[in-house]
Amino acid sequence: MKSTNKRFITCPFCSLHCDDIEVEINSNKIKVLSEPIKNCTKKIEYFNISDKSNLKPFYKNKSLNYREAIIKSRTLLDKSQDITIVNHGTDVNGVRSILNFATHHNCTVDHINSKYLFKNLGIVQRKGYMATSLTEARNRCDVFLLFGKSILKKSPRLIDKVIFPEQSLCVKPKEKKLILIGEFDKKTIDTLAKNYSVRNIKIKINEIPQLMELIQSKSIGKNDNIKAISNIISESKYLVASWSSSDLDVYENADDVISSISDFILMRNKENRAACMPISGSLADATSSQTMTWLTGYPSRVKFDGSKFIHDRNICDSEFIIENNHTDIVMHISTVGLEKIKLNKKVKNIVIGHPNTTYSSKPDIFIPVGIPGIDHKSILFRTDNVVSLSLDKIRCMNLPSVKNIINDLLMVQD
Amino acid sequence: MNIKLESATVYDPINKISNLKKDIYISDGKIVNRLEIKGKINKVINCRGKIVMPGAIDMHTHIGGGKVNIARMMLGEFHNEESLDSDSTAIMAPTTIKTGIKYIKMGYTSCFEPALLPINARQAHSEMADIPFIDKGGYALLGNDDFFLELLKKNASQSAINDYVAFTLHATQCIGIKVVNPGGINAFKFNQRALDVDEKSNFYDVTPRDIIKKLTRAIYELGVPHPLHVHCSNLGIPGNFLSTIETIKAAESLPIHLTHIQFQSYGNNGDKRFSSAAPEISNYLNKTKNLTCDVGQIMFGQTVTMSGDSMSQYKNHKHAHPNKWMCMDIECDAGCGVVPFKYDNKSFVNALQWAIGLEIFLLAKDPWKVFLTTDHPNGAPFTSYPHLIKLLMNRSFRNEMFLQLPKEAQEHSILKSIKREYTLDEICIMTRSAPARILGLKNKGSLGYGCDADITIYDKKRKDYEDFFANPAIVMKNGEIIVMNGKIKKYTWGKTQTIKPEYDKSIEKSLKKFFEKYHTMKLENYKISNDEMENLIGSEIIVNKCNGKRK
Repeated sequence: MKSTNKRFITCPFCSLHCDDIEVEINSNKIKVLSEPIKNCTKKIEYFNISDKSNLKPFYKNKSLNYREAIIKSRTLLDKSQDITIVNHGTDVNGVRSILNFATHHNCTVDHINSKYLFKNLGIVQRKGYMATSLTEARNRCDVFLLFGKSILKKSPRLIDKVIFPEQSLCVKPKEKKLILIGEFDKKTIDTLAKNYSVRNIKIKINEIPQLMELIQSKSIGKNDNIKAISNIISESKYLVASWSSSDLDVYENADDVISSISDFILMRNKENRAACMPISGSLADATSSQTMTWLTGYPSRVKFDGSKFIHDRNICDSEFIIENNHTDIVMHISTVGLEKIKLNKKVKNIVIGHPNTTYSSKPDIFIPVGIPGIDHKSILFRTDNVVSLSLDKIRCMNLPSVKNIINDLLMVQD
Repeated sequence: MNIKLESATVYDPINKISNLKKDIYISDGKIVNRLEIKGKINKVINCRGKIVMPGAIDMHTHIGGGKVNIARMMLGEFHNEESLDSDSTAIMAPTTIKTGIKYIKMGYTSCFEPALLPINARQAHSEMADIPFIDKGGYALLGNDDFFLELLKKNASQSAINDYVAFTLHATQCIGIKVVNPGGINAFKFNQRALDVDEKSNFYDVTPRDIIKKLTRAIYELGVPHPLHVHCSNLGIPGNFLSTIETIKAAESLPIHLTHIQFQSYGNNGDKRFSSAAPEISNYLNKTKNLTCDVGQIMFGQTVTMSGDSMSQYKNHKHAHPNKWMCMDIECDAGCGVVPFKYDNKSFVNALQWAIGLEIFLLAKDPWKVFLTTDHPNGAPFTSYPHLIKLLMNRSFRNEMFLQLPKEAQEHSILKSIKREYTLDEICIMTRSAPARILGLKNKGSLGYGCDADITIYDKKRKDYEDFFANPAIVMKNGEIIVMNGKIKKYTWGKTQTIKPEYDKSIEKSLKKFFEKYHTMKLENYKISNDEMENLIGSEIIVNKCNGKRK
């Protein structure tokens, strides 16, 4: 690999996995060159190695070499009666290896964002559901409903990639309309309104079900704004509804909110076309749920027991398990996360994390891991759960992948 | 490693061997001539009292990709990990591991996913790479993607179509091309709710006939062995046998394979406006040289239907059992629909569907042209194959089952009058030799010298054919014993069967532009390289030979 080069990469850090990010790599330092999307991709630079990065494993404040760290970890894990693995984001091969390890060591496996996943999945498991994907929405959607409050902050490129692209197959970009429903801030609305056709219904998240019912009933009364929006929706040919379930999880009725949106979309399909397109979390949530499903039949929260395993959303909830000390060792795996990992000091903690991982207290063992699409080749699923992308290796820090580490943990002999 | 299968009773239709006692020699995973073996025989397997056939090949089974995963997620309540015997999801939409175990225990050594969306190919291959034991492959879906329909709308040359088809086979690492409800999935995105063979789609002004014509020719001219694999227009609609026949005609005498033809063989006679058109379709099959089909037999009980045909699945959601379902429009590429369904033997329609499938099997004269499938899991899970084989081989059993159907359904079927019973030879053809031949797999479905030693050994003592086919004594994959008396002896991982016809790469320039303008990913990310298959997805590929370019 050249010490300096410019190239396009696929971003591993949010569920859109944009593959048009131009970066310059200079002595393993990544600089984002893509101007119009800088706000989003600056995240990549957060993962650059600095003085604060942990490039070496440690055990109780003491540096170790990689092999020593693997042996120490295996020793701790072998002593455990109840291992919990918390996935904070890894690639397909990472999830495959986690499950392989879990079958050998009877572990409980959970993804940190499972509770949000289950809110979306609940609809598919209970009733009918019409869905669409990013490219479909880009080219066919004439009216886009966006629910929540901060979805555009989390996934800003929804705007130029999907909602208002420069070119679209079936709808002239100028004819596309965006309707924001929820608690979007004024700045977001005003900025969008400068360039696009945007309307807004400001209501609390928990009021969304009533609003959907109102629009559906068409007995709107005197509210001119809602009336106008209702008309826009009525005239739409391909309506898309999007949300991020963590955004809607405010008043403990997220399930009802999501259900009401989905029901509304189903009703629309009786005469026109409409579809849902939830945006998943940025910790490789879709990658985890897809891979877990084809290997176990369940998208998350599985406890292995010999050749069998159980799935129970409550019993296998890692947050509950850790908070209540129902485990003696927790293995946290984090390759794409920015947020601090919360550790329970009362149990042993092994963190397999990227070099800039932060935690609430120091873990017993830390093993630095490569970032998929930065330090090694990998496959990650996009938010729509239907497209997965192949990511390349762009820097040489000799950081192992999750797959390498887990395989070594399985193979190591003291 | 040299192995001798001693005194086997061999069925090997490709080599015109039927019920012949002989020894078979295996060296380093291949079937060889005794004279070619260097060194001593390491293992002799006594095959007296055993019937030996090539490993079976399922040429149409939904085992990987987004729709299968949706079904797995959707049907959580059917899982029962504590008791595998009552784990219904493990039958309808099994995990990858269970898929491999169940197939290999039934003597199947190669399986083909028939609806691999190009945009979803990476997922489908990743899933299939996690299916142990068996070799696998996929048919890439075309004919509803906007790029292709634009080519047709713009009257692109046949050679441009050919290049696009070949590019797709390369990019998706597939072995064939399938079209599902030609143009219909795309039309549904524009709110058309039906599209007959000669009906134009509103947006592209293209008919299903145009699509079939172009794609069958492309496949023929590229020399891809497997003919266009077609899920016809109007699936499941009474009277659809007429559009099925029109679809066959659209191929203009070039090879065409109609899949799950049972769902396409419905008349609309009688007071219920639903009747069997199996005689008409079988008659057409028997007289049409360029036509092959698989049946897609239904069996009674709970299953889940999964299809790229979002137009028809959306219609079917009203029959969902349990009452939940999902449809999706996908990436200007295709669509999908997953609808759980229970076939009820007390239902007139379901009973007649069951009879129609069997009528087609039994009226089709040439077993090389009709393949044994249930369109897993759409008609029934693949685990029902041994039962289906018994229905075909044992007339009195079949009639016993038939008499349990509602009287009115019996009155609409000629099944009871059909005397034919399939022979072991014919079963071997339709489950081994014919699928291998039609897919261009030179080393499969045969016990000839040089072929892969994928072998199933059955016990003659099992007199009941369902028991016989459900419980092979030994299953070998690449010369290794994988199953012995129903127990897995070793875990191995199969390979992915592909085909890579030559093409003019300049088609990628226009594709690249199309992706830049309309897609949300780059063309480069759409393509799956051989290296990615092996090192990231986790499956080595086998590149099969094309027949060479034809005009």
